[in-house]
Amino acid sequence: MEPEGDHNGRDTPPATRRPANWGIAFDLGVRLGVSVILGLGGGLLLDNWLQTSPIFTLIGMVLGIGAAMYTIWDVAHDAMRR
Amino acid sequence: MIHVEIAGETLFTIGWFEVTNSMVGAALASLLLLAGAWYITRRSALIPNRMQSLLELPVEWVAGIVEGSTSRWRGYVALVIGLFLMILVANWLGLLPGVGTIGINHTVEGHEVLTPLVRPAAADLNFTLGLAIITFVVFVWWGVRVNGPVGYLKELVGEPRYMAPLMFPIHLISELSRLVSLSMRLFGNVFAGEVLIATMLALTTATLFVLPLAFFVPSIFLGLELLFGAVQAMVFALLTMTYITMAIAEHEGDHASEHDGPEHRDKEADTHPASSPA
Repeated sequence: MEPEGDHNGRDTPPATRRPANWGIAFDLGVRLGVSVILGLGGGLLLDNWLQTSPIFTLIGMVLGIGAAMYTIWDVAHDAMRR
Repeated sequence: MIHVEIAGETLFTIGWFEVTNSMVGAALASLLLLAGAWYITRRSALIPNRMQSLLELPVEWVAGIVEGSTSRWRGYVALVIGLFLMILVANWLGLLPGVGTIGINHTVEGHEVLTPLVRPAAADLNFTLGLAIITFVVFVWWGVRVNGPVGYLKELVGEPRYMAPLMFPIHLISELSRLVSLSMRLFGNVFAGEVLIATMLALTTATLFVLPLAFFVPSIFLGLELLFGAVQAMVFALLTMTYITMAIAEHEGDHASEHDGPEHRDKEADTHPASSPA
């Protein structure tokens, strides 16, 4: 049986780390949606409170989408580092 | 009539404190875990019997996974194992006969409604949110511990500094999304499972013609719930581990030579391929 490793001689992640990758996959999809909802919800609440509709709703939506994109980058960055 | 309350139902009150059926479910799961812990600490032997092996199996399995995360794994392995066992037992407890079906009957607007005495704890958002808040506090604490309060705030503000008004709220939303996604995922899956089983039971017992189906159709879904309960417990525990690992790893990446964790050996192998094992 051949030892686990790539052509550079580096060890591939041990089998015990693989379940953690499933967890990240489960997490990513939900966090994308949640980020947008949090941004949008926060904006709507601020607009209702300050009577400034729709300024903070739009800002919140942009920040929420930004946070979702940042989440993808963060998870990909972490996965590449590991 | 299919009736599954989205919130835990109050059984009785102690002063201002309302005791709900999901609290009873959580307490029963805790008691089961305490009984298991008592057994393993009092009756454990060097050569384990079947019962001891059964109790040690999930603990050793999760500990084996956490061991490969960072060099500081001993600091958070107990939390990850504790979360896994608590959610697993709470989820599987909800599949036992009598849970959700034995309760107190009362009439609401002309309909007779059953309030179950026990409800799966994770089918109540209060339970899952509580666990997620614990996880959130712990991974923020690890972030502050390894980076220092100022370093942690600098990470939230991001680089370059003039982008801080944009990046700070984005980082804040991204951090909070972990709390919400952890709690909502577990609650959503367990609650959906409860509704699914209730629906299957109601459909297969609706008329005498389909009654024979009631003997095996719900059992298929109960089997699936057994699997989903374990998967959800694993996902929650492993995400807790991943979040803590991410909080630690960024700092450790800068100080790889100070520690001897497996990921640092990988990094050293990248830097010095000649000295790496073949």
